[in-house]
Amino acid sequence: MTELILQAVYSGLLQGGSYALIALGLALVFGAMKVINLAHGELVLLSAYIAYTVESKLGWNPMAAIPISVVIVCIASSAVYFVVGRIKTNREINSLTLTYGIGVILTNVILMTWKADVRTTNSTWMQEAIVVGPFYSMRSEVLFFGVSVALIVGLWWWLSRSWYGRAVRAVSSNRDAAKLMGINPGRTELVSFIVAGILAAFAGVALFSYGVITPAYGGVLTVKAFIITVLAGMGSIPGVLIGAILLGVAESLTVTLASSALQELAGMGLFLLVLFVMPNGLFGASRRRG
Amino acid sequence: MKFKPTLVASLLAVYVAVPLLFGADNYVMSLVIASLVIGGIALSWALLGNLGGMVSFGHAAFFGVGAYTSAVLSMQYHVPVFAALVLGGAGAVIAALLMLPVLRLRGPYFALAILAYAHIFRIVASEWSSVTGGAAGIGNIPRLPTVLGIDFSSKTGNYLVILTIVLVFALAYALIRRSPHGLALRAMHDSDDATRVVGVNNTLLKGMMLLVSAFMCGVVGAFNAHYINFLEPDYAFSALWVTIPIVAAIFGGYRTITGPLVGAVVVYLVDQLIVKNLLPSGHQMVLGIVLVAMIVASPDGLLALVRKITRKKHAAT
Repeated sequence: MTELILQAVYSGLLQGGSYALIALGLALVFGAMKVINLAHGELVLLSAYIAYTVESKLGWNPMAAIPISVVIVCIASSAVYFVVGRIKTNREINSLTLTYGIGVILTNVILMTWKADVRTTNSTWMQEAIVVGPFYSMRSEVLFFGVSVALIVGLWWWLSRSWYGRAVRAVSSNRDAAKLMGINPGRTELVSFIVAGILAAFAGVALFSYGVITPAYGGVLTVKAFIITVLAGMGSIPGVLIGAILLGVAESLTVTLASSALQELAGMGLFLLVLFVMPNGLFGASRRRG
Repeated sequence: MKFKPTLVASLLAVYVAVPLLFGADNYVMSLVIASLVIGGIALSWALLGNLGGMVSFGHAAFFGVGAYTSAVLSMQYHVPVFAALVLGGAGAVIAALLMLPVLRLRGPYFALAILAYAHIFRIVASEWSSVTGGAAGIGNIPRLPTVLGIDFSSKTGNYLVILTIVLVFALAYALIRRSPHGLALRAMHDSDDATRVVGVNNTLLKGMMLLVSAFMCGVVGAFNAHYINFLEPDYAFSALWVTIPIVAAIFGGYRTITGPLVGAVVVYLVDQLIVKNLLPSGHQMVLGIVLVAMIVASPDGLLALVRKITRKKHAAT
């Protein structure tokens, strides 16, 4: 039993990597533009389906889809930015309905292009077992956990050291002051959308490589990303990673100990617990959200 | 309310003329009933959005909980169907009470939290199979009964019931909006803090609006369960019960009372009669496009857009 539980914790940990990428994209855009992109999960799913096409039509490894995915998802993400930028009044509420509508469009584009069937990778290379100590996993899980951690470190470096990264943080904390310092807020917001798109593209290929995808999965991903940001609290990259791992572990423990149908309830339980006990999240600064 | 001849005439038209003209045509009547169901949800959504200032993506939860409550009560506990409709609304209110903690989150956080709740209720409905029949669903849900010689289980009977439900809700909405609470709620839009300072309990009022909205949506869901006699989790909690009403409310103008209703009829009929024939598998895409176009062009609805354009023309001449 203990072995099973430890194995579940290990699988959940690996799953947490791509969850963190999705959640960071959502949080980055929210930080820079105060807009929650409800179509974010669909962007991730779009990338996953591109990986499926690359594998099934060209017979290549799903990893080969990453460059194509990054380009397409970044274009889609920038398109979301330009449409959101056209909102004139009451942006906080209108952007929600707007991105929800974009999510509906993307879901149906995916449905029409790739049909409603459940898809998963056929690559044996990806599915081969990798043994680390007493733990088992697929090669794709370990591989993409490594990729996620590398991307997160890269994001941290970008946000704290590079000019644009600092600009994103400046716009997040005070838009007007940032403007006075010569930062173009519009361009910075676009950059945040593009970086979120890059993270979403990698996460999508990862999801396809070790999981199953259906056109309706996008909304679930957005909710998961949101739960992670609530767990983590705003403005903490390590917090998001830990929140994502917590969610992954909670889900995989539920699957092992109860049933796979209850998987989503685990995340929700965690979410409500945090909401009641510490509404600022586990690592958030102690200020009111919203 | 003042006596308005046009109001009486339109009431007569919808209560008498529609059944007389189309009562024999089952297809037309089912389209009309379905658009009224959508209209009912759109109205409850718009009430929360307009008065409560909250965008909800979780109204499918209220719709589904109302439907299941009413179906289970009438089948397993033999509650009369009309009483079960009201209790379905009460069930949705209980679901909304569970959501109250999310009121401490504002704006976008609230919207996403309520979306997450809708997922929970769907999972509960599919897993709690001893009561809900699980993923297989419930069949043979009792139809509306015959009362005072009127057979409410017929298409015309169903039409009269859902029409009455929607009109009563519209009236209730109008009364709330005119009341001092409505004034406080509208003031809250301009400044949350200022209304708090003059002694309005914002959170309480918002919470009340959530409960009222949930009740309305739950009753409509309960009606729909008895109308189609069948329920399954994926149907009762389908995202469609959120998408179409939102599009309808935004399209018609969610800050008005008639807007969501008119929007529901137009959007649903166009979707079913035109778009579905052109794009059988992805016809919902058009809903998304309409939503995006409306928010960008005129978030206050088509009527506001028309008014804006005509005003510009007037100014030009």
